[in-house]
Amino acid sequence: MAKTMDNLKTKADGGAKADPTLPKTPNHNRSAYKGLYNYAKPHRMTFLAVFGCIILAITADLMQPYLVKIAIDDHLTKGDANANMLFLIAGIYLLLSVGGFLFTYLQNNLLQKAGQSIVAAIRKQLFRHITKQSMSYFDRVPSGSLITHVSSDTETINQFFSQVLLSVLRDGLTLVFIIVLMFQLDVRLTLYCLILLPIIALNAIAFRSYMRKTYQMARTNLSRLVAFVAENLAGMHIIQVFHQEKEQQKQFSERNQTYFRSNLREIRTNVLFNRSFDMLGNLSVAFVTWLGGNAVLGESIPFGVLFAFITYIRQFFQPINTITQQWNTLLSASVSMNRIWSIFDTVPEVQDKPDAKLDLSAVKGQIDFNGVKFGYADGQPVIHRLDLHVRPGEMIGIVGTTGAGKSSLISLLCRFYDVKEGSVTIDGIDVRDMRQEKLHRLIGLVQQEPYLYSGSIVDNVRLFDDSVSREEVVEACRLVGADALIAGMKDGYETMLSERGSGLSAGERQLISFARIIVFKPRILILDEATANLDSHSEQLIQRALAVVSEGRTTLVIAHRLSTIMGADRIIVMRLGEIVEEGTHRELLAAGGYYDELYRHSQGNADGKHRPGRADGAAIEAG
Amino acid sequence: MANRRGLLVSFVRSKWYIYASGVSFTLAANLFQSYYPKVLGRFTDQLERHGLTQSAVFDASMALLVIGLAYGVLGGIGQFHIMYVGRLFEKYARKRLFKHFTKLGEQFYSKNGVGKLLSYVMNDVTTVRESISMGVNQTANAAMLIVSAIVMMVISDIPLYLILVCISPLIAIPWIVVKLGPVIRSRSHTVQESLGKMTESAEEQFGGIRVTKKFAVEDIMNDRFGGSVDRIKDNQLKLVRVSSFFQALIPFLGALSLIITLAYGGYLTLAGTLSLGNFVALTLYVRMMVNPLQAIGNVINTIQRSRASLERVNDLLNKEPEIVEHETAVDVDWSHAPLKVNHLSFAYPGATKEALKDVTLTLEPGKTLGIIGKTGSGKTTLVKLLLRVFDTPPGKINIGGTSLDELTLESLRSGIAYVPQDGFLFSTTIRDNIAFFRRSSELSLVQKAAEQAKIHDSIMTFPDGFDTKLGERGVTLSGGQRQRTALARGMLMNAPILILDDSVSAVDAVTETAIIETIRKERRGKTTILIAHRISALKHADEIIVMDEGRIVQRGTHDSLLAQNGIYAMLHAIQEEGSSVG
Repeated sequence: MAKTMDNLKTKADGGAKADPTLPKTPNHNRSAYKGLYNYAKPHRMTFLAVFGCIILAITADLMQPYLVKIAIDDHLTKGDANANMLFLIAGIYLLLSVGGFLFTYLQNNLLQKAGQSIVAAIRKQLFRHITKQSMSYFDRVPSGSLITHVSSDTETINQFFSQVLLSVLRDGLTLVFIIVLMFQLDVRLTLYCLILLPIIALNAIAFRSYMRKTYQMARTNLSRLVAFVAENLAGMHIIQVFHQEKEQQKQFSERNQTYFRSNLREIRTNVLFNRSFDMLGNLSVAFVTWLGGNAVLGESIPFGVLFAFITYIRQFFQPINTITQQWNTLLSASVSMNRIWSIFDTVPEVQDKPDAKLDLSAVKGQIDFNGVKFGYADGQPVIHRLDLHVRPGEMIGIVGTTGAGKSSLISLLCRFYDVKEGSVTIDGIDVRDMRQEKLHRLIGLVQQEPYLYSGSIVDNVRLFDDSVSREEVVEACRLVGADALIAGMKDGYETMLSERGSGLSAGERQLISFARIIVFKPRILILDEATANLDSHSEQLIQRALAVVSEGRTTLVIAHRLSTIMGADRIIVMRLGEIVEEGTHRELLAAGGYYDELYRHSQGNADGKHRPGRADGAAIEAG
Repeated sequence: MANRRGLLVSFVRSKWYIYASGVSFTLAANLFQSYYPKVLGRFTDQLERHGLTQSAVFDASMALLVIGLAYGVLGGIGQFHIMYVGRLFEKYARKRLFKHFTKLGEQFYSKNGVGKLLSYVMNDVTTVRESISMGVNQTANAAMLIVSAIVMMVISDIPLYLILVCISPLIAIPWIVVKLGPVIRSRSHTVQESLGKMTESAEEQFGGIRVTKKFAVEDIMNDRFGGSVDRIKDNQLKLVRVSSFFQALIPFLGALSLIITLAYGGYLTLAGTLSLGNFVALTLYVRMMVNPLQAIGNVINTIQRSRASLERVNDLLNKEPEIVEHETAVDVDWSHAPLKVNHLSFAYPGATKEALKDVTLTLEPGKTLGIIGKTGSGKTTLVKLLLRVFDTPPGKINIGGTSLDELTLESLRSGIAYVPQDGFLFSTTIRDNIAFFRRSSELSLVQKAAEQAKIHDSIMTFPDGFDTKLGERGVTLSGGQRQRTALARGMLMNAPILILDDSVSAVDAVTETAIIETIRKERRGKTTILIAHRISALKHADEIIVMDEGRIVQRGTHDSLLAQNGIYAMLHAIQEEGSSVG
């Protein structure tokens, strides 16, 4: 009975994908399964074929003890020495086994093909649906959980097809067949055996919830352990510099011990459950032998029947065992499906108007914020009432404290969010009347941390868009002053980059994102803290690139480093959602307001003038 | 220390008795189990000889019951033992690994990413555990079942040649498992890899979603992602073709065996050479042997796989720590401990270019040193060497007259407080983060450090104040807040030497001025090293050194440096005037 231990192992592995921390929302169950059904529908012929294969395979499998029974009862016990009949039976047996072999093979392949196609379709659709969401969605939902949805949750659905569905069909049918065969053999004996069913069910129910609990506890403790190790590895330099190795080892040991204890509890439950199943099986064999033996004695059944019965009763437990083991997988599949379909149910907040219009080529780049009022949540306005008019080609610098509404201004212009009151227009056309795709092409945004994709420099600049030629990319890199840098790299323009470990400094990465702007030719350019975290040397590089890129474009620059915006045509100072100062660098210094103070601090000339009450970062914060 | 000896060997040596007891229980259980067909066989014979009585039926069923119960209980105890010892190994191995991790240095971590190291702790250890618990269990089980089945068959007067003929198809099972096992494994590895690729792709796409949406290239990114999805499907189907063949083949071979038994055994029964009881027992024994044979094949594969894992883990444990404390190491006398660097040159291991060239400086206790220079000029390298993250030749760096490598690590590292630029914090309470050096510090000390770093008021806006757990329920700190918390962590140490490595770069100018002011006040009489890009942060230092390409190119006070026509004056001009715009 090594089988039991095999089962135990697959259980531990198979259920490993379940996440115990997830909320359960059974109310969505029906719509999720309905959604899944829609994906499965195109494959219904395959499923039908699988069903057919399963029935044939099971039949072949279960007829085997029956054949032995015939051999014993009809031939061997009667002692009539007809060896030919025996060989005939063996021949039929062989045919059945070959059939069983073929159909099992076919059924597995067909089912996987259907299941994989469905999962692939769901994955693609899900990814497409997520990328369609508004920017606010990505602000709200951490990308880690999106990754989980697309990879792990869909993988769980795959398990639903390859394990749960298969097991329910195959083992369920097997069970039914066995019961039918047993009835065929002897009704009274079968009825006695069926007394077992409720006992098995009770046993399973009693263990199931407890097993789930111990399993989930072990999973939770494991993920805590993993998180702890991951974080400590990442922060090992801090641990060593502060000489905290011993303390961290102690904390690790505590978590290690907790996980060990929950493992023991899980093992104990599993062993008990498996053994109780085994014992029930053995008990019933003894029971059948006693009942059946007496019946044979009383000549009411032939011995072959008893033999087949004993074989069947042992086979009887296997499918039940397998089905029970699918419970964890089924559970996590339901949770995953709910999560996936709740994403499918999310409608992008910012919607295109049906008659959205805009001729991209003719845009001049005039921007107007007309009496704009905005807040992320109701009752908490971030921008109170703001009017700002930017001429085509003008360069505007924006400074202000955290929460002053600088970034909100940008989000409204890009229509990541919609205004509550007033309007934002480009060349007099409301951004809400434009198709988002067109609007986004119109505006180029450079952020503090430029993102690099894993791909060559060329692909990173043109964002994998093959319609942009290599020459255009090279020209763009030359314009922003990145050509010398790229020429010095190992593979030149074909050098592979990635988000981690690209070997580029922050300033060099920023140059790549400037080259993107040149290639995609937006009419309006926004720099959102694009020069924070750079040393003076890199900042100079960026300043030079900015001068090239902003040429002929309407440009908005947000910065807490004043050197970046001193040369702007106009500087606006924002505070608590309003524009409080406006003018050129010189005008603002002369006015002696907040800008003047900020400027003097950045020069280190603020000694004696600094007011401690203001200095805490709760009030003023970079970025 | 059992360092040199393998991880598994030292573990098994200390816990062998648990194994022994587990295996004994399993063996005992199987011994009982092997009587099972024999009881049924005898039952059949009695029936055939018409010697079956009411009491014989009762005896047979009682015997079966006892066998069943004994097998269940004994086997269960054995199984628990073996699984217990597996988990014990896991715990032991992880503890050793973690301890070893705390000893390895920067050079090691720069070459090995967190993901890779985690897979040692999780996957490799688990693989070894599985093979030593499942492997031992299944081997013991299977070997015992097979041997006892054969022995029982022989004892029951079933002719040996009949047994051999009947089980001949079964003998192929371990061979097939060993042949197909690696194919299945490599294909399932490919599937895992393509799954990993898709996850990576999703990670990248969602990480860069702002870029994707801003440039409206969603369609291109959809195609890129779709490609990785299709690859999974293809690889998965390739895997299924082999694995389902394998899964169907094993029962088929079992059936073949039974067919031979039925035909040949039946023929012999008819001929009278074999009793009907022995025929029945034979079919049962043959059935009994299918699973153990498959298990043996599986064990062979698991052991193959886990051997590679065990080797990886052992290799890792045998890596020598880069920084080792001398046996004769002494504590620093912090009462008068000038810091001296003598003609120090340094190249990172494996690099040809020197990161530091001929650096000499002296820092008297209580003085403040400012270091300025562009990215890659060697500022951070110098700090790492002062902290002994990398080793330097003896006598190149001295604290209080003693060479750095002659000092105990504890004394050295509790004497220097370090505030890194990235502001790395742990996901525990803010209080524990600030009191990282001494977790038992009183709250008042923690609060004081927070006030000095100008982060106190921000912390108080969180629902649980200093007891707020970072990273939970969406509590995250901005870059500036992280830096200031890390600063508080350094301030709390109140150490003889404080090093700020560009530690306020994400803080706005007004707050920065206030922080620098506080540090000047609090650190009066203690040594402070300030590294910054902005002149405003270090202009008050007693001495400022300007670094470029690993050398000190200028040194002096703020005023004397401004008077020189060099990098410092140029930086000052850029930062003062913003002259490069346009």
